Amino acid sequence: MDEFQTGEETAFVVDEVSTIIKESVEGAIGGNAYQHSRVNQWTTNIVEQSLSQLSKLGKPFKYIVTCVIMQKNGAGLQTASSCFWDNTTDGSCTVRWENKSMYCIVSVFGLAI
Amino acid sequence: MEEFSGEEGSFNSEEASNSVKECIQSIIGEESYRQDTVNQWTAKIVEQALTLLVKQTKSYKYIVNCAVMQKSGAGLHTANSCYWDTVTDGSCTVKWENRTMYCVVSVFAVALTP
Repeated sequence: MDEFQTGEETAFVVDEVSTIIKESVEGAIGGNAYQHSRVNQWTTNIVEQSLSQLSKLGKPFKYIVTCVIMQKNGAGLQTASSCFWDNTTDGSCTVRWENKSMYCIVSVFGLAI
Repeated sequence: MEEFSGEEGSFNSEEASNSVKECIQSIIGEESYRQDTVNQWTAKIVEQALTLLVKQTKSYKYIVNCAVMQKSGAGLHTANSCYWDTVTDGSCTVKWENRTMYCVVSVFAVALTP
């Protein structure tokens, strides 16, 4: 009974995290076109907003949030991650977002304490 | 005595940075950007870097992230933020480039509670 409840509260829930990320991205850059002078601020806003929402979940996790914004001009971009962690408790989630002028890729890694 | 081995309590980002640079150099040092092989390169870089790091210090969970971008004038911006224990955990980011591509590798190390 007690164990069943703590199981749900202490797992990395991909859907929940994914929703938080999408809202952070939409809020920061939804409706904007790529602007070199503002992109710095945007990436910072996205990671800070995501992290603050994640920590409000109150789960016993350490989080790492990374965000990449790239202008659309035909260049190729490839990203990869590898993780050395505990498969049973830790997890990650990556959200890809785009509009007419840029791509945004946000990854969240959650590591159980 | 036990406290003296305080080196284990914090992440050695310089050592990690050097290991990562060697990995990148050995895998894409002489290469030009190619769309059909770039996915193999990123996969090799993250795997090799992870293996090297785990050999050096086992008492961490690691996350290694790698991005390779073709040089064509596009703007690229990356940011990270971390919610962790600032005493024991750490990260390092290595930026590398050659004539045809940029490579950015980030390593995050989170201490394992003994």
